[in-house]
Amino acid sequence: MSEPVLKNKNIENFEKKQEWWWIAEQKRSKKLDYLRKAVWKKGALGGNYAPGIKVDMEYPKLFTDMWRFWKFDKPIIRRAKAVAHVLDNISIFITDHSQLVGYMGSLPHTILWRVDGASIVNEELYNEPGVHAEPENESLRKVAEINEYWAGQTAVDKVARILDPEDAVKFMSGAIGWGAPTSAYGYSTKDYEYLMTGKRGFLDIIDEIDKNIEKAEQETIGTPGPDILPIYDKIQNWEAMKMILEASIRYANRYARLARIIAENFETDPKRREELLRMAKTCEQVPARPPRNLQESLQYDHFIQILARFEAHEGAWPARPDYYHGPYYDKDVNIEKNITEDEALDLIGEFLIRTYEVGGFAPRWAREGLQGITGTWVWTLGGVKPDGSDACNDMTIALMKAARLVRVSNPTFAFRWHPKVEDKVMREIFECNRQGLGYPNLRNDPILIANAMHWHGHPIEEARLWVHQACMSPCPPTKHGLQPMRMASATANCAKIVEYAIHNGYDHVVNMQMGPKTGDARNFTDFEQLFQAWVKQMEWLFNTLVRTVNLGRYKDPEFYGRPFLSGISERSVESGLDVVSPVGDRGNCWITAFTWVENADSLAAVKKIVFDDKKYTMNELIDALLVNWDGYEEMRLDFVNNAPKWGNDDDYIDDIMLRCLRECARHSKVIKCPSGNNWPILPENVSGNIHYANIVGALPNGRRRGDALYDGGISPGPGLDKKGPTAVLKSCGKIDHITDGRAFLLNQRLSPTQLAGENGYQLWRAYVQTWADLGLDHVQFNVVSDETLRSAQRDPEKYSEVIVRVAGYSAHFVDISRKTQDNIIQRTVQGLGK
Amino acid sequence: MQCCECNYEASTNDFRYLYNARIDSSVSLRQCPNCHEWLAINELKGESIQKIGAGDAPWGKSAGIEGLASDVGIRA
Repeated sequence: MSEPVLKNKNIENFEKKQEWWWIAEQKRSKKLDYLRKAVWKKGALGGNYAPGIKVDMEYPKLFTDMWRFWKFDKPIIRRAKAVAHVLDNISIFITDHSQLVGYMGSLPHTILWRVDGASIVNEELYNEPGVHAEPENESLRKVAEINEYWAGQTAVDKVARILDPEDAVKFMSGAIGWGAPTSAYGYSTKDYEYLMTGKRGFLDIIDEIDKNIEKAEQETIGTPGPDILPIYDKIQNWEAMKMILEASIRYANRYARLARIIAENFETDPKRREELLRMAKTCEQVPARPPRNLQESLQYDHFIQILARFEAHEGAWPARPDYYHGPYYDKDVNIEKNITEDEALDLIGEFLIRTYEVGGFAPRWAREGLQGITGTWVWTLGGVKPDGSDACNDMTIALMKAARLVRVSNPTFAFRWHPKVEDKVMREIFECNRQGLGYPNLRNDPILIANAMHWHGHPIEEARLWVHQACMSPCPPTKHGLQPMRMASATANCAKIVEYAIHNGYDHVVNMQMGPKTGDARNFTDFEQLFQAWVKQMEWLFNTLVRTVNLGRYKDPEFYGRPFLSGISERSVESGLDVVSPVGDRGNCWITAFTWVENADSLAAVKKIVFDDKKYTMNELIDALLVNWDGYEEMRLDFVNNAPKWGNDDDYIDDIMLRCLRECARHSKVIKCPSGNNWPILPENVSGNIHYANIVGALPNGRRRGDALYDGGISPGPGLDKKGPTAVLKSCGKIDHITDGRAFLLNQRLSPTQLAGENGYQLWRAYVQTWADLGLDHVQFNVVSDETLRSAQRDPEKYSEVIVRVAGYSAHFVDISRKTQDNIIQRTVQGLGK
Repeated sequence: MQCCECNYEASTNDFRYLYNARIDSSVSLRQCPNCHEWLAINELKGESIQKIGAGDAPWGKSAGIEGLASDVGIRA
């Protein structure tokens, strides 16, 4: 029997068993196979880093040494000099067989430690077992020295000193939200329209900066007056931008030199030598000058993301790779035929792997809340162009093909669906989901473009360019649309709203009066009293978090300026203002609403069981909640089984959900960001539903403290959506996805057996059509059977490549905790069609 | 309640509550304070049912077309 036949038989066999990872291994090139297996897993397993992952010690030392040395400089200049020193001196490496380079650590197994972000994270790092390089004592000594220097002068330390003390204590309790109010940690949309349209490289930007500095310097020696005073600061900002852009070019040139040295002195394989020389030429071209081909375009993009991470802990990876790299793919593969489609797939597959490789040290709450990954690298595909025409291209399809070959859990794709998307593209999306990747998820482009215009006033041409700033939130990558800083601290643990409404603002988990006193719920005589208490607690929660973030943003040009991000942003290059300054930023804020649906389910349960049916009193309910339902199991089951639940097309509870959302939408226009724009809510969870399991007390929906919360967004509770997928869509379709909030995450689990073959595709297409017709903005799929997932629990090594959709991201199933695994398995498997 | 693994006896509350993956099921996971095993507990009856190992699913299959969750699948 010839080898290809044997290969095909194996593939058929694996397909039957839905073991897609073996198929990927057989189908991908040897190069991709090597690169995929050679990459280190940086995402935390449950909450802990994998054995062998170590904190990089070169970066902290180089950065701190230079920061200390330039102590008389303004912070923005100090940061530029310190990062430039790192770029000039950190060890660099080229992975065997790779064609793309760039990493923030000195070795492939290291993770970057952001020393100037937060002292509490620095202390946590010191105490984290297993992450310090051997000899451990020596590493710990160095960490302690660095911690001693930074204590009290990190970005978070500076914000904490000026926060209202009560706000600070409540925020730091860990009960109501997470994140850090600084751009040291957060995520920034890049100005892709400035950078990635082939018009300029860093040398061109440096030219623009030089002209601006020259003009500004002339102004400072002109007629004295208030107008020229801000120019002195601007000149320093421009100098910082220039310094770091020049260092970035030198950093790329170091890779070029290394590639040449290996090629000319050590490499014996002529093909590899040729590759290394091409890499050298690539790194000499970008980021200094605009890319000329696909490899340079991908390398340019990767450098930008890596360089941004030398400056700040970027928790997300906003990108639109098909839109910005598509023209180069077309030129190389279709027009000039410089490379074959397979060679392009190797490059694109490696582009995904190099991204998967990226990781920085994160505190435990972030590791638990983003199990299995290092950040929400959600890349945007599809969508429309500024003129409204279909933006899909061959690169869109190539990216999805490459994703199935390399099967990384990060980055994932989010596809901007619109009515003009061709069937061949839809089939690729379906195939990725059918093969269990959990991505691309679907975003409803017409709805989200209208939403961006409604909430933030983005002009339609800019709204049509949107990328995911994190898991879910659209942001235009444009001069005035890009949001340079989105600190996760406007992430609300919303289950606390109903918890505080019931307990008069008191938190029985952290034992502290948190929210306002909205009345002893034991004395409430009707549902309206409870609902009004809920509204007041919601307003308090959102106000507290947003105040914190707004202050961080306002002070960050002083506390944590970003010279690199400024240097790649048109509005900063033009104005001389640090990009973090709210001036010129239209505003694109949102409150991430974790643990949201528990509110509607809990309020509906109280309304129905206590006030309508009068089966129990508020007194009895609160007594049961205070002991975590222990000894009240029959009563608990009553609250679960005999109260309406979200996701069943039941107006009783759906009306409560809408009331809650519309109260939030009303308040979202009262609270404002530093640019004066709105703060709409965006229900989603990542794996915060697990992180908060022990922090949220027992709730009237029947949940005990310790149980995972629902999987998030507007997804019904696992197993509680009993009336089928259309009922779920109908409930969700009652929400106005333009005016009720910024976006709404919906998890759905589908049967892999049912999705097999052409029939499966047609069922799925019909489902997608209903989803679109009902005006939902998001849906994502898990297409893995119970059997596979339970087998993976029993035999994790054999199933180490099984991927699941957790919330706004995907993860390898074996990398998430048992509780998270069980939570995913218990999601309802929706049957499509009849 | 008695631990079905080591026969340790204590009140249900002394067995550390871990979680219940299905809110509509009365089967939860608790940890025995003596042998530290994870146990499936019938909260209605206050009985420990079985030790939980990798891949065990005391709540039964997922809801939906995989079959509605039921406590029937619990091993004696």
